[in-house]
Amino acid sequence: MTWLRTTFRVVGWPTLLLVSSFAFIAIFGSVISPYDPAAQNLSHSMQSFSAEHWLGADNLGRDTLSRLIAGAQTTLIGVVTVLLLAGTIGMMLGTLAGYFGGWLDEIVMRFCDFGFSVPSLFVALAFVGVFGPSYTNMILALSIAWVPIYARLTRGVVAAAVSQPYIESLRVLGASPARIIFRHLVPVALGQVLVYASADAGLLALAIANLSFLGLGVQPPQAEWGQMLVSAMPYIQEAPRLVILPGIALTLLVIGFNLLGERIALAKNPRAMSRRKLSLRRAIFKKEVEA
Amino acid sequence: MTLLSRRSLLAGSASLAAALGLNLSALTALAQDGSKTLRLPLLRASGNLDPQRYVGIFAVQDMVFDPLVQYGPGGAIEPGLAESWEVTPDDTSITFRLRPGVTFTDGAVWDATSMTWNLERWLPKEDYRWLQVANNFKSIEVIDPMTVALHFTKPTPTALTELSYVRPVRFLSPNAVDGEGIYNAPVGTGPWMVEKEGPEGTDLVPNPGYWGPKPEIDRVSLVVIPDGMSRISSIIGGEIDAIGGKFIAPISPQEATTLTNNGITVVTQTGTDTMILGFNPRIDLFRDIRVREAFNLLIDRDGIAQVVMKGYAKATMNLYPEVIPHSGTRHAVPARDVERAKALLEEAGWTGEGTRSKDGKLLDVDLVISEDAVAGSRALGEVLQAGFMEAGIGLSLRNVDHAARHGDIPEFKYDLSLFVTNGAPYDPYNTIGLMFLSTVVPGTDGKIYEDVALDPLILAALGAAEADRPAAFQAVSDWLHDNWAIAPLFHGDRIWAHGDRIKSFAIPATEYEMPLKTLSL
Repeated sequence: MTWLRTTFRVVGWPTLLLVSSFAFIAIFGSVISPYDPAAQNLSHSMQSFSAEHWLGADNLGRDTLSRLIAGAQTTLIGVVTVLLLAGTIGMMLGTLAGYFGGWLDEIVMRFCDFGFSVPSLFVALAFVGVFGPSYTNMILALSIAWVPIYARLTRGVVAAAVSQPYIESLRVLGASPARIIFRHLVPVALGQVLVYASADAGLLALAIANLSFLGLGVQPPQAEWGQMLVSAMPYIQEAPRLVILPGIALTLLVIGFNLLGERIALAKNPRAMSRRKLSLRRAIFKKEVEA
Repeated sequence: MTLLSRRSLLAGSASLAAALGLNLSALTALAQDGSKTLRLPLLRASGNLDPQRYVGIFAVQDMVFDPLVQYGPGGAIEPGLAESWEVTPDDTSITFRLRPGVTFTDGAVWDATSMTWNLERWLPKEDYRWLQVANNFKSIEVIDPMTVALHFTKPTPTALTELSYVRPVRFLSPNAVDGEGIYNAPVGTGPWMVEKEGPEGTDLVPNPGYWGPKPEIDRVSLVVIPDGMSRISSIIGGEIDAIGGKFIAPISPQEATTLTNNGITVVTQTGTDTMILGFNPRIDLFRDIRVREAFNLLIDRDGIAQVVMKGYAKATMNLYPEVIPHSGTRHAVPARDVERAKALLEEAGWTGEGTRSKDGKLLDVDLVISEDAVAGSRALGEVLQAGFMEAGIGLSLRNVDHAARHGDIPEFKYDLSLFVTNGAPYDPYNTIGLMFLSTVVPGTDGKIYEDVALDPLILAALGAAEADRPAAFQAVSDWLHDNWAIAPLFHGDRIWAHGDRIKSFAIPATEYEMPLKTLSL
């Protein structure tokens, strides 16, 4: 149980509760969902909170709670897939560039420069514009847009590690580049990438919602929070809950991921204070002085 | 410190209340000073108002430029710039006696010369062949300064209706063009004159020399408000007086509900158009009548009319609503019958669990939706999607913008698409002539259906003499129904809403005009 205590200490129970709740919903969503999220019952259209529909029903009589649960699944699966794809490709490129340097490093870094010069969402929009809107295309588009971030991050970590004496020793002892990369450099970079990815997940959840809001991501009948928001816009006066509920779900998920990223970063490097923590500490110090 | 804050707060609140009070009294004064300025919103700026170009807002062109004959309620043709007319029994010539004493607002005289000058700007030209009057045009004969005859190469029974359209048939002053004949000012004989126009809106004042009944309003101020929600807020806040009209400042059924809940008067009337689910006639799947019938039987038309359209629509199986001339007898709206649809699909060879298949091909179709081209198409698509899925038909919604829709639809790059018939004053002629006739090149709105067996019926209807017209149009309607060629969904209501300043209000005969004829403040 030491690992559990360590996790609680590092992450903090509110963050853990928030993120694990969403993870639970994503994993067991199909079991706990009271209705099929795509099932329409036109006679229940715009029904408010009731025993039948705890969070009401939308304009086409679909159960809002079931759609929020399905939306959590869609978003989290999307976030994890993009992070896995972009993280793997980015780490691969960054590690090769950092280890071998030279022209390979130049090519990878110029690719990254190009990637950074165009906002990630624009890259995703262009991809979806060419290949058509769908959940798969959105995942691919976001993965492509996110690769430069992880490539540059990994390259920095690897380039710094390569000059360390223990890597030099391994070279002298005749270790193959593959062994050095996979046994010694990738594990170093992975830690950094995981820390960054935990904070980046919130941003990705927002990007998925943005694209679906614009009609370029998830397509009906699959439920997704951004799509729920745009479908509910015409009903904002009659039933504000249809806009507020997916908005709250998205906000909580983003807060959860941000807190998670921040806590992990702090645990790895306690001296690196976040702005929020710094201002909190300054306020306590000021009060003490005034007292 | 706290006291000071409270004082500031109190002072601030008092100032705000005073300012609001002043503004409110100013607004009240405006409303009580007898001002007869009508404030209406516009979806976009009026644009180039040349009646022979397809750019400007129809309703603004209609205010400024008169037609030879006017389209009245129910399609009745009434006198306009022509005081009377005579049609030859074979429908190949019409002689118009022009209204005397009419002048354009720049002083130019309305007579055979100005009429001929206008007609020659478009009637003989290729671009306007979509109109039967242009397609069959033979010659213009000036009989005397106030009598003109139009001759056609073949019977053109649609001529009078077509001459009531807004563009390209309205009349511009011959002086309102530059040396090269290019339009430079909105000068007509209509009841209104443009006083000021720009990207933010257009102001119009009454034409003092207008030949017809004088408007009861001193000024119409058209304000550009592109966003639907802003238009709704504006009428609730009393900044505009009325809202509505498909091409002026449209209101969705949901917005109409919101307005009613906010105490705004909502006026409705059965619409003149029909929302149709069209099958791509050029793909094998929809050449099978059993498949078309199955799709038709899977649609919950009443549910769509009541829930998606909030009751502002009437479920239908007809091509045209009853308000359109020769719309024919009403076909019964079939109840949704999933079992019958499944049996038809099985019979047609589409079998299997989940999404059906035939010869290894899945029964997966796409439906083109476009919120900016067909408002409400997304919700409509989702209802259709759920309905089709029950019988093992996979339907994916392809969301495109207005321009993409206008590219894909004429090229038949779709499986299913939503179409809207042209409505008054164009129907019953335009929709069947342009969107069904297989020999006609599809326009930007595409083809709802086409079949060589249907062509002779359409041609007979378009060319029928007045006495034969009801039967000829009925034959077209029956063929479409008996062959499940289209899936009509509903006739949407025409919706307008107005505030308390408006004392009398009536929805105009077409979507191309402002509700000004009977409006009073």
